[in-house]
Amino acid sequence: MQEAPMSFKARAERALADPTLKLAIDRTTGTAERKRAVAMTQFPQFEAARECGKRIKDHVIAHLDHYLLEFERNAIASGAKVHWARTAEEASQIVVSLCRQAGAKRVTRVKSMLGEEIGLPHALDEAGIERVETDLAEHIVQLGGDRPSHIVWPSMHRTREQVSEMFKRSHRAPHREETIEAMVDSARRELRDKFLSADVAISGANFLVADTGATCTVTNEGNAELTTTPPRVHIVTAGIEKLVPTTAHAFAMLRLLVRSATGADVTQYTTFHCGPKQPGDRDGPEEFHIVLVDNGRTRMLREGLKEMLRCIRCGACMNHCVVFRQLGGHVYGGTYPGPMGAVLTPVFDGLKSSRDLPHACTLNGKCQEVCPVDIPLPTLLRGWRDRSWREGLEPASMRVGMGLFTFVASRPRLYRLATAVAIRVMRLFSRGGTVRGMPGLGAWTAHREFPAPAERSFMAMYKDLEKGQ
Amino acid sequence: MTARDTILNAVRLGLTTPGVDPAAIRREAAALLVDPAARRPSLLSDSLVDAFIARVTSPKVAATAERIGTATELPDVVRRYLESRQLPAVVALQPAAILQSLDWSGFEKHDRVAADETIAVGVARWAIAETGSLVFHSDAETPILANFLPLHHVVLLRANTVLAYLEDYAAATAGQRPPRNVNIITGASGTTDIEGSLVLGAHGPRYLHVVIVDEHSALDEAQITA
Amino acid sequence: MTQPQSASRPPSPPRVGLFVTCLVDAMRPSVGFAALKLLRDAGCRVEVPEAQTCCGQPAFNSGDTADTAVLARRFIEAFEPYDYVVAPSGSCVGMTRAHYVEALADDPAWAERARRLADRTYELMSFLVDVMHFTPAGVKLDATVTYHDSCSGLRELGVYAQPRALLDSVSGLSLMPLEGNDVCCGFGGTFCVKYPAISNAVVAEKADAIDRSGARLLLGGDLGCLMNMAGKLKRKGSRVRAFHAAEVLAGMGDGPAIGEER
Repeated sequence: MQEAPMSFKARAERALADPTLKLAIDRTTGTAERKRAVAMTQFPQFEAARECGKRIKDHVIAHLDHYLLEFERNAIASGAKVHWARTAEEASQIVVSLCRQAGAKRVTRVKSMLGEEIGLPHALDEAGIERVETDLAEHIVQLGGDRPSHIVWPSMHRTREQVSEMFKRSHRAPHREETIEAMVDSARRELRDKFLSADVAISGANFLVADTGATCTVTNEGNAELTTTPPRVHIVTAGIEKLVPTTAHAFAMLRLLVRSATGADVTQYTTFHCGPKQPGDRDGPEEFHIVLVDNGRTRMLREGLKEMLRCIRCGACMNHCVVFRQLGGHVYGGTYPGPMGAVLTPVFDGLKSSRDLPHACTLNGKCQEVCPVDIPLPTLLRGWRDRSWREGLEPASMRVGMGLFTFVASRPRLYRLATAVAIRVMRLFSRGGTVRGMPGLGAWTAHREFPAPAERSFMAMYKDLEKGQ
Repeated sequence: MTARDTILNAVRLGLTTPGVDPAAIRREAAALLVDPAARRPSLLSDSLVDAFIARVTSPKVAATAERIGTATELPDVVRRYLESRQLPAVVALQPAAILQSLDWSGFEKHDRVAADETIAVGVARWAIAETGSLVFHSDAETPILANFLPLHHVVLLRANTVLAYLEDYAAATAGQRPPRNVNIITGASGTTDIEGSLVLGAHGPRYLHVVIVDEHSALDEAQITA
Repeated sequence: MTQPQSASRPPSPPRVGLFVTCLVDAMRPSVGFAALKLLRDAGCRVEVPEAQTCCGQPAFNSGDTADTAVLARRFIEAFEPYDYVVAPSGSCVGMTRAHYVEALADDPAWAERARRLADRTYELMSFLVDVMHFTPAGVKLDATVTYHDSCSGLRELGVYAQPRALLDSVSGLSLMPLEGNDVCCGFGGTFCVKYPAISNAVVAEKADAIDRSGARLLLGGDLGCLMNMAGKLKRKGSRVRAFHAAEVLAGMGDGPAIGEER
């Protein structure tokens, strides 16, 4: 499903015409929304926790240089090797060359959005290294040969029926019973020996703890620890905005992250990784590498997107987005879908190719309402619209139309006249209280009726009334 | 210029006040965490052990738990656990002194956990009442894989190691060299990756059984400070 | 983000500038007359400034800040003389209250004027309840209704309880819950014509939920959203009729609904 050449609108229309996709989206996001709502009723401290989380992130971003250096110092002291990558390409090249140095034939991967962002799956495949995705959803994505469509549930676009078919086609000992339990078991059997035979493990990080140099991952399946423990080398890739001052700060963020993502209080597994295997340890990697990735983050800092660096990748914004819930994630065309993706994709891919994303939004504000760190997503999206307008990326018809409208609307008498004419024209096309077949209204009337206007405008009638008084 | 310098320079260009005194930053960071009670959920009971048990056995965590008087009862608990599930008396035993010292006669035991291990018996360092979590540190007595490979995970927990909140764990370990791995384990492995429905036993254990021992012996003391 | 508007005591009787909004002006004047009546019943001296046109929201949401600023300055000049500015729309009031300062940020003098006006600008129903402490009297309508909370009013202004409190005083009226009452209807201003297919998919779900509510009337506080939902309901053959809540509160609930022949 390589869809780059298609326009956003074409991708959207294709998604809208796919009832199976809609069913899949509704099942997952519906469940997520319900579970989060329940979690919120059980956590009346959410607002206070959210304010605290927001301030922690803002504090870290405000002193990011300090925290990067503190983290680096402590990570090195723990025996980790720290690498820095300016761009996506640089980051995936570092990982690939570490794999090559390790003589890796097979690598196991833990789901990481940053890994997707830097194109790591592709880079590993190009390098001829066998890549085993161990997160169940990423395993499904890998089998399906497509891309993640959600940051928490990457295979959200697949129904259980589709997953069942894929597993039957490719698993060595597939499920016999058509239940989700049996399918999960099938994946468990399939991946078991791969965990233990990999040469390198690659994971991401939910938090980087500055005062210990530890990286923290939160997962539910247990695949992360099964992935990162047996191989000789473990590589963590993480964005530079993932820092928190201390473990206690990580916990404050954790309470927000998990409830917002899945509605659970905590994930089943919260694991801190601090350096390689220590003397006496029963297991663990000999080498532990951390790749700190910029890839546009410092640009965001400078270009008015600082608040977006608070994002902890919970996915609540997309689960509650009316547009995402119609389209799913692939239509967005980038690593991150939904409202947060509509803010981030223009950073990574440029506004020119992604200008539809910040526009295909009703600015209804629900995403900010559910965001656990109160990111003003509508404001940031509007910021991209401003920029798109300034850079001349908006269609000429729009620019001319808006200019004309403003010209008229800033001259009240001309505006009254224009209103009267518009009403007259609309009424010419009106039958039974509805405007039909009027040129220029097609985008509306293709899908719904356009209510006919009253005979005269409010201002005209009001003027007459006042005269009569 | 190295990537490191480029990034650090770019960060500083984007900051309003770069180069703040580290001590001031630390104070500011600490101040963010004042009044923790206002932003944490309340515990399910005043007693930490009861609160922990209520949480760990709640539908959200969905583990099972039982209490015993002394650690010596653990083998019997495991025997009953296996019998009731018609499983053979073969256990992978975490190589922790407190477990190895118990009488496991009648069991076939080993300390290397196999890929398809049915049951492993381990011991947690701490538990968190807030979340119903168990805390493990990797070390000579704690292979991390033992927590993840088996289908059934039976974990011994000393009642006096139950902490109230996650931050209390951070406080309890402050200033110590962190282990390679800290596992905070809350219930059995689960996935919601297929249509959002929860299925247990994704890759890690499908069943988690916590055995809380009330007794506080010299042996336990040794384990805590290990 | 949502801040309940302040409930200071009004100067008596307060002089209110009514901004009918461009949509009400051109499409459904009855909403303007309903607002006028309610404000007068509440004891206000209401005036309708002739210089009013559009608040500039379409330009603002399109990223056209220059044109937004032109219209924002016009609006401020027209409404500055009044004690309060009231409009029967959460989104237009959201624009003036929450975004004028932002749109005029380059010009501190104008930004300050915008800030001062914003504090006195209210959505109709929140003004009636929070400022005027008004309860309509003697209004009767035998109908089951359901209520859609339009997003700007709900999230930018905290309008939720006020329309319900007012509707509670209408005898014979019973309010049915609407599943997803706070979920966007897919209107989004220019969004609905820029991305019609997406907008349609959203409003189709909304219309289904409205039908499921079992109510006979759909009420709301924003004409744009109401036209979107009413248009979809009619297209799908639903029998649910749509009114602006102000119309019902002003006793006009027995007239033609949105999109019905007059």
